[in-house]
Amino acid sequence: MKNTKFLETGSGTGYYGLLILLGAFILAGLSSFFYMEHNGHWVTGMTNQIVWGAPHVFAIFLIVAASGALNIASIGTVFGKQMYQPLGRMSALLAIALLIGGLTVLVLDLGRPDRLIVAMTHYNFKSIFAWNIILYNGFIALVALYIWTMLDPNPAVKQFYKLAGFAAFVWRLILTTGTGSIFGWLVARQAYDAAVLAPMFIVMSFSFGLAVFILVMFATYTWTGRPLGDAVVRRLKNLLGVFIAGVLYFVAVHHLTNLYATKLHGIESFFLRDGGGFTQAFWIGQIIIGSLLPLGLLYCRMTRNSRVWIGIASALVIFGGFVQLYVLLIGGQAYPLTLFPGYEVSSSFADGVINSYSPSLPELVLGVSGIAVAMAMMTVGMRVLRLAPVSLADEVIDPHHSK
Amino acid sequence: MKQFKQLLAVTMLALTLSVPALAAEGRTPLPSVPAAKGGQCVEDTADMRRNHMNYLKHQRDATMRQGIRTEKHSLKACLECHAPIEEASSASAGKSEGHFCMNCHEYAGVKLDCFECHATKPESNAQFHPLVSSSSVSFKSVEKADSAELLNNLAATSEDNIGAAHE
Amino acid sequence: MQPMNEQMQPDRARREFFSRSAAAAGVMLAPGVVLYGVAQAKPADEPVTSKVRWGMLVDTSKCNTDCNACVDACNAEHGLGNEKHSREDQRSQYIRKVELKHKATGMTHSLPVMCQHCETPPCVDVCPTGASFKRADGIVLVDRHICIGCRYCMMACPYKARSFVHEELTDQKPHTPRGKGCVESCTMCVHRIDEGREPACVEACAANGSRAIIFGDLNDPDSEISQQLKNYASSEIRADLGLNTGVRYQGL
Repeated sequence: MKNTKFLETGSGTGYYGLLILLGAFILAGLSSFFYMEHNGHWVTGMTNQIVWGAPHVFAIFLIVAASGALNIASIGTVFGKQMYQPLGRMSALLAIALLIGGLTVLVLDLGRPDRLIVAMTHYNFKSIFAWNIILYNGFIALVALYIWTMLDPNPAVKQFYKLAGFAAFVWRLILTTGTGSIFGWLVARQAYDAAVLAPMFIVMSFSFGLAVFILVMFATYTWTGRPLGDAVVRRLKNLLGVFIAGVLYFVAVHHLTNLYATKLHGIESFFLRDGGGFTQAFWIGQIIIGSLLPLGLLYCRMTRNSRVWIGIASALVIFGGFVQLYVLLIGGQAYPLTLFPGYEVSSSFADGVINSYSPSLPELVLGVSGIAVAMAMMTVGMRVLRLAPVSLADEVIDPHHSK
Repeated sequence: MKQFKQLLAVTMLALTLSVPALAAEGRTPLPSVPAAKGGQCVEDTADMRRNHMNYLKHQRDATMRQGIRTEKHSLKACLECHAPIEEASSASAGKSEGHFCMNCHEYAGVKLDCFECHATKPESNAQFHPLVSSSSVSFKSVEKADSAELLNNLAATSEDNIGAAHE
Repeated sequence: MQPMNEQMQPDRARREFFSRSAAAAGVMLAPGVVLYGVAQAKPADEPVTSKVRWGMLVDTSKCNTDCNACVDACNAEHGLGNEKHSREDQRSQYIRKVELKHKATGMTHSLPVMCQHCETPPCVDVCPTGASFKRADGIVLVDRHICIGCRYCMMACPYKARSFVHEELTDQKPHTPRGKGCVESCTMCVHRIDEGREPACVEACAANGSRAIIFGDLNDPDSEISQQLKNYASSEIRADLGLNTGVRYQGL
């Protein structure tokens, strides 16, 4: 770490071209927001039964990935692993960028986004949502401080490096617990209402955050032509494999536990067997494509050393993450609330029926623009700050590399 | 600072409104503030101009959270006197042009949030504020009016009448 | 706040005339309202207290499948249904009729479901700004001045009682302000209760002849509703959640 050289990424047609592309997506997202806010949510696919839709899937993915992206920096600072330390600056900025992207989508989807100041000044401290607002803002501030301790060579600042790293690490664990608890603390809905959702979200954040980091790292080092050694890639891909397995474990525990409760058989068969699109999404999208396939690609002898395949595996993990959140968020709302156990129910307000949802274009565009915001922040951040190491080649960064 | 700015804005407004003769010369646009029913407001005019937002905000919390429904500062009661009593058209140059609140707020450039939720006109069988005399009540023509249309018409009307003296 | 200016006091005679004629109009205009067990309206300038807890009791055996009087009355009272663009599943409903058929025994029920005005409402717990709140007298409301439209309360409500306004609205009723981007639900006709009247659904049900819904003060042991709850079996929907709802049901 002491001897690693960091340098801003260069500018050129590629840099500006990327910014223009991302800017186009951001502009599209803003137009979607104006359209949705001006007309009201009737232009979206969200209804009184499915109240959180595509924008929330994107927002929660970005927020969860944000906290996980900080993992690399934490492993370097808090756990002292030398190989991760040069990656710490990029990791920290990625965390902030993803969080801001996610929050952008979340805030712009509010029914009254003009009341954001109200949200920042009126707090109901029994609400985990209110705590999350505080946690998100604190996270941005804390990680910014952390980056400062990493960037500034002044010893008066550097002495706080470990403390800042530790504080950021603890804060993000609380934050992700909070994000998981947004769902975990909902007693009303059978798909949520589970303590396991909080730790599950933490492991999900490890997995999604690392997958995004790997892709960002690949893109940065390929497009700037800087060397990226196999040692780093191998370490990160093994770590990703462990995290994917962790997520699978929590998903399995969640469903197995629910299956034991007779009253939850309805919702479990909805997710696992009878839910049509949701069942397919769960098994094929989340489990096979999103977890088992990347796990295979990362460990199978033929593909595990190929950067292309590792990149594909990371992309599949990200895809699987979106599907997982889609199944959890939308599927959890699609299944009707059980007000009268043992009865068939019908009413004029969609009691007793599986609710349907199809996302509208403005919602999807808004969601994608959140990703664009995050990537734009990363692009500009690495250009103006010394975040990316000049070289990640084996001989430079691997402490065990034989000379 | 905020108080000072409010005072300044209100003073400017008060000055422009109280010198119609000068304005009729044509250079300074004025808001056309429709006359209200009843002899006088629940508070002094100058006081109201400065503080109506505070009264309303305090009242709304008292009503909402504690169920205190005194009429003095209630928005619903304000509308009983200050709501337009005729459907406005650009031809009508009578006493009620425009929506009382919207006209002034558009002039001052202060966006109103209230009427996204609150009705812009009182209900036809509302109990009237004691200050309203029975002779000035006539709501039949308003019953059918669509508030949004009313507001749009009246916004157009107020633009037509910029510069006209406040009757 | 300026102290009240003595010279601005309205003419006493005018005030008395108006309040008397309004009272007379109220009595004439309200058909078939049965006023047992309803506490007298508190004075307008006093805050509500927790001495009173308002509740409703639904006797499902008196409720007909074909009757929608409560729903129609509620929609009319609050000006619901004035959404021009929203799809069917985006329109607000404060109260709905639910038809039940037991899967094992075949027994059927018909009953209205609205906000249950829980004693420990999950919607109040989860609201980030505190816009969803419970008044001292037990009525659960949305303070639409600070609602940011996040819809978390809609996720949290075990009874799916809340609706979101999906478009710009006009022609609201003055006593029920409602607008785009805020969440809303049954207010137990709080504007009526504060005047000493009953909720619109209760009134309509009584006018219809069924009198399946009654309203009253749960804290008053002599009120009709308290007597009914004491002497005949009743239940809460989703009683296992332990929310101690203000709305209870007989015959389920």
